[in-house]
Amino acid sequence: MSKSEVAMTAPSFQEGEKRTWRQLVASDASLGIALATPVILLMAAFVFMPVLLTAWDSFHRVTPMLPGQPFVGLQNYTRMFADPDVRNAWWNTWFYVVMAVVMELILGLLSALLLNGMKSGRRWLLAAVILPWALPPVVNAMVWSWIYNPHYGLLNGLLLRFGLIDQPHVWMNDQATALLLVTLVHVWRMMPLNAVILLAALQTIPRELYEAAEVDGAGKIRRLTMITLPLIAGALGIALTQSTITAFNIFDEAWILAKASAITRPIQGQIYMTAFQDLKFSYGMAMSITVMLVSILVSAVYVRRIYRETRFD
Amino acid sequence: MRIEFQGVHRRSLRRLSLALAASLFALPALAGDITVLLPGDGYAPDVLQAFEKDTGIHVDQQTLAWDQLHTRIITALVAGTAPADVIELDWSWVGQFGAAGWLEPLDGKVEQSALDEISVLPIFKYDGKIVGAPYNNDFKMMVVNTDHLKKAGIDKVPRTMDELLAAGKAIKEKGITKYPFGLPLSVGEATSTAWYLITMMYGGTLFDANGEPAFTDPSSGGYKALQFIKQAIDDGLIDPASTAYGNPEVREAFKAGDISFILSDGPGPLATYNDKEKSRVAGNSAGAVVPNVTGKTETYGLPEALAIPAASTNKEDALKFINYVMGKDAQVQSYLEHGTLPTRKDALMDLNGKGKLESGDAIVEQVSSVNPLFAEGTPPWYPPFSNAAASAVNAVATGQMTVPDAIASIAKAAKSAMNGN
Repeated sequence: MSKSEVAMTAPSFQEGEKRTWRQLVASDASLGIALATPVILLMAAFVFMPVLLTAWDSFHRVTPMLPGQPFVGLQNYTRMFADPDVRNAWWNTWFYVVMAVVMELILGLLSALLLNGMKSGRRWLLAAVILPWALPPVVNAMVWSWIYNPHYGLLNGLLLRFGLIDQPHVWMNDQATALLLVTLVHVWRMMPLNAVILLAALQTIPRELYEAAEVDGAGKIRRLTMITLPLIAGALGIALTQSTITAFNIFDEAWILAKASAITRPIQGQIYMTAFQDLKFSYGMAMSITVMLVSILVSAVYVRRIYRETRFD
Repeated sequence: MRIEFQGVHRRSLRRLSLALAASLFALPALAGDITVLLPGDGYAPDVLQAFEKDTGIHVDQQTLAWDQLHTRIITALVAGTAPADVIELDWSWVGQFGAAGWLEPLDGKVEQSALDEISVLPIFKYDGKIVGAPYNNDFKMMVVNTDHLKKAGIDKVPRTMDELLAAGKAIKEKGITKYPFGLPLSVGEATSTAWYLITMMYGGTLFDANGEPAFTDPSSGGYKALQFIKQAIDDGLIDPASTAYGNPEVREAFKAGDISFILSDGPGPLATYNDKEKSRVAGNSAGAVVPNVTGKTETYGLPEALAIPAASTNKEDALKFINYVMGKDAQVQSYLEHGTLPTRKDALMDLNGKGKLESGDAIVEQVSSVNPLFAEGTPPWYPPFSNAAASAVNAVATGQMTVPDAIASIAKAAKSAMNGN
């Protein structure tokens, strides 16, 4: 859209400046404010205020078993560095985040490209792909707990049948395999969402662009890197962000597959145990605030990066 | 047609508004209702109906799985509300809930005649005040598959640790079952309590008279208990998959005939094991006293009580309910219908006298050796200590930690918990 076109369709800035405050309120702006107010109030009441209160409480000692709530400064935060359980939970969580984000993005993109290229039966395959995401996380994890069961599980059964192992393996007793298997269950559940997000973006790319590139001699890889990826950069950013945040929040899968075992316990499991079993609420709150900040920071870093690297201008 | 349809709507709306108004006026009449929040199946419908008939108070009983109950109760209490008018109070929560001031003291409110019959009452005292009325007389005891013993040529249930190990090895060697011992080893209360029991089997205690950890010396009961668990896994006497097991999974394995001994169980599920509809080992399961290196059995109680939250708005009716179910007849009926072992001695004797107490002789013998785990009452720092103990036992079982490291980590966690960190 050229500058002249923009000038024709949008109201001029100077014209807006001349309006009085009263006129503004009576205009479309007031409607916009009226429509946005309920959301703002709800977000303030149920998101921002709880976050602020949680952050405030994390600088105090809040435990119902001890009288008062004295200010303790950064004590709850510094304590985390010396706590081996928290360090272990963070290590597990970083493993989940890195593995889950990479797998969800690659598999989500491949699924979206496959679905986008289908001439017929796309809606049936899409329905099949979405199914794990539509299932409640607990149900999903229960199904996989049967698959991984050391006595009657499908995984051991298949590996025994093909002679890859000589006796049933207790998968959750080994940290490397346990972390990987918990991650796979999470990826199985969350990858379809990425596929849908990316498929929606792929369908907005004009076919003419590919045809022109093909005429210019661009191969499949070049078309993917020069046309597809830059044009779905926004969707990739959304997919990456949701993958990161949900991976930082892994809980159900690890809890159902290995209960509270330190081998697989994510930071959310550690928060649950600290706050709701040991009743050290403010310590748990400090951990929650840290998780929130870290997940936002990580998402922000690579969302910025992906935009910078894939923008045409 | 349209007019008539609108008329129907109007009439319906009028009726609806009248019904709503009536229900608002009727609210005071519901003041006689109480809510009760319990684990598992809660009280049998017969018991509740009898109470309702007797008092005219309606009981809205809500039940939750054991694992979810603590969180459900905590979240409500910490918000200053009552999760129910009568709630479950496990022995392990007494210190936490007592220190937080969440419970209504019951001194002088629960009938003295009932309290006089209950030996586990001191477990539910905090700061000298009774905060719970014990209704489920849970304590640790062993459960055995008598058929497995017979097939292995063992004619009496093991009473010493040597006999227990020999029996386990004999059963395994004869191929009667792959893993003779059942023990929960996931990170949970069932695992830490199992370790405490095996500590007692080796003649040990958790803390000495000065409150210092008494399990750090290699010759102590607690140390030997952890070595026993590790060795039993290495020798194939305990299923390595038990690292994901709590009590329910171990009990299911026993009912399926996959294990011969549940080393750390209670008297409650005994009736279920001998129920043909629920168990494959019906007729071949029996409760047995806990073995000990000395041959003299020793165990500890994990009773459950009923408590009234301080935030309850219907304490009077809640108290009537507690007094009713603490009666001898109600306790007997609860055992017969749901297997809730009475806390009243007269109810226990009555059931055993009539031959209705499953493994009655073993229960009566074991009851006489039940001690509280903490003589001064469960301390507020118990839950973090228990979590640390369960984590360490699980880490030993999965091979992530050695026995000495695990013992050191439990001792460190105990000190830290005691200091309020």
